[in-house]
Amino acid sequence: MTESLLKPDSNAKLAAGIEELVDAEAGNIDRRIFWDESIYNLELERIFARCWIFVAHDTQLPNVGDFLTTTIGEDAVIVSRGEDGKIHTFLNSCTHRGNRVCFAEAGNSRRFTCNFHGWSYGLDGSLKNVSRPQSYSGKSNLDKSKLGLHKARVESYKGMHFACFDPEAPSLEEYLGEFRWYLDVILDNDEGGIEFIDGNIKSRLKCNWKFPAENFVGDSYHAPWTHSSALIAMFGKQPTMRPDRSYHANANGHGWEFGLDFIGNAATLNSPPIIDYLREQEAKFAERLGKVRSRMVGALSSANVFPNLSFLAGHNTFRTWNPKGPRSTELHTWVFLNANAPEELKEEYRRGVMLTFSPAGVFEMDDGENFENCTAVNVGVVTRQQQLHFGMGLDSKIEHEELRGNVYQSQINEANQRAFYQRWADLMGAETWADVPVR
Amino acid sequence: MKTLEQTTRRDHCSVSAELLLEIQQFLYREARLLDNEQYDEWLELLTDDIHYWVPGVQARYRKDEAKFSSERMAYFDDGLEYLKIRVARAKQPSAWAEDPPTRHFHLIGNIEVLPTEDSNEWTVHSVILNHRHRTEDDEMELKARRVDTIRRNSEGLLQLARRKVILQETVLQAKNINTFL
Repeated sequence: MTESLLKPDSNAKLAAGIEELVDAEAGNIDRRIFWDESIYNLELERIFARCWIFVAHDTQLPNVGDFLTTTIGEDAVIVSRGEDGKIHTFLNSCTHRGNRVCFAEAGNSRRFTCNFHGWSYGLDGSLKNVSRPQSYSGKSNLDKSKLGLHKARVESYKGMHFACFDPEAPSLEEYLGEFRWYLDVILDNDEGGIEFIDGNIKSRLKCNWKFPAENFVGDSYHAPWTHSSALIAMFGKQPTMRPDRSYHANANGHGWEFGLDFIGNAATLNSPPIIDYLREQEAKFAERLGKVRSRMVGALSSANVFPNLSFLAGHNTFRTWNPKGPRSTELHTWVFLNANAPEELKEEYRRGVMLTFSPAGVFEMDDGENFENCTAVNVGVVTRQQQLHFGMGLDSKIEHEELRGNVYQSQINEANQRAFYQRWADLMGAETWADVPVR
Repeated sequence: MKTLEQTTRRDHCSVSAELLLEIQQFLYREARLLDNEQYDEWLELLTDDIHYWVPGVQARYRKDEAKFSSERMAYFDDGLEYLKIRVARAKQPSAWAEDPPTRHFHLIGNIEVLPTEDSNEWTVHSVILNHRHRTEDDEMELKARRVDTIRRNSEGLLQLARRKVILQETVLQAKNINTFL
């Protein structure tokens, strides 16, 4: 009885139907996946509670006791630097009555103490104290060692910390697979790695979380059209995207669309010192990354780590798309730069990203409108039964001497979007991680 | 009529009614220019050294650091050059998201004018509500406190020299900010 309540039959039925909703090979995607509550609930279980979700960069929590709060799916979590110096991630919900134990977005603390009855937890989520402990004297099953805040696994790749609630999930290393080689383009183009600038801009969009995630995984097609106003305002012309010198690459549903133009993205930050810095470092980047990857460092590009961590090389922004129901998404935006870059570049990047890719930025401003309307129209029951077309570049797959993973010619392509939805369908249809293929 | 210097300086009434009215009218006119998307005329209200700042606001514990800081991320942290880029984008015919246009109003209240050490500059506090409506049912409200520095230029005209806008929200309840606050 309890079993069936925890794992409703409808899950199995729904999961079996996923195949019909996503034909990733042909690029036909059913619109119900952007709208239906039941599909969304399955996403929370089978994607967000199962995948490695980005929670913090190392430099956001430099000291013992530093913490921030965020969500994994819709599960509220605290991410903190413990007394052991490690990053911990655990539910932000007291084990006594479930109240939130931390209400600040970020800060430094020794304990997280619940406002309700005063139970207090350590930086690793363990229960340290309950108020009036003598009230539990006599017959009691209060075992503090079993009443800590529920913990997620935490693993990191070059300063990026990810958390995962599924004990069966593969390691972060396996999860990222070949995509680690691409992530090094930004995380490891310099021996000092990257740092995040303080602060985090957050905003709510009335859209399904997959529209922005797929936009970053591969949609350079939209850039010259959607962002025409910003491009013309800043440069008086459209950027040149060369099909022969640009690619889609993906692995396990993570994807990056990019040119080899070196500074196309960085140029939109409107900062000559940033361009000077990149040019000065170009030889060093090439030494570390090889010629091809070094040309990606600031190039026209966008990327997404499945499911919801997007970034722009060159623009130097990371962002996560946090689901808040099937039709609402909370965007968290950060700015990063090379830790060894000159101090004055910090201001250049901070201001440049805000000019372009914050909710008030000249580029991002037009995106939200599209994502919201792509979602909202599905209120129509007939509209919702129609399919969306993801059929660009069906025969563009190539073998490349250096580029790893699945590689496709031309960044004006929908190969990465198809790979994103393939991964989505793999996970949604799979009972356990054992059934999820490596892609 | 009293001159500014003759005005009694008391905490709750430290500038003349005449100046208060002039500054109030300046802010209302500015709001109307923004509502009507008359951005070139709006830019003329700004000094060349304008600093226009809308920091990101965070919920932090009282004992902790400030809820916003000049070193953290911001929605706007602009001088005149950046403001002009934003205006240039808004004016492009290909600003698809602005067509049909957003219907705006900026409601300005709680205006309080305080003198500064410079007799041609005043610190002006206000509270604003920006109401936006798009298409059939897309409605957004931004609420904020503002602290402005308003300066009288050599031609005797008032201009905006600094603006700090502290939004109520830590999570912006809107897909974008396609206006100035």
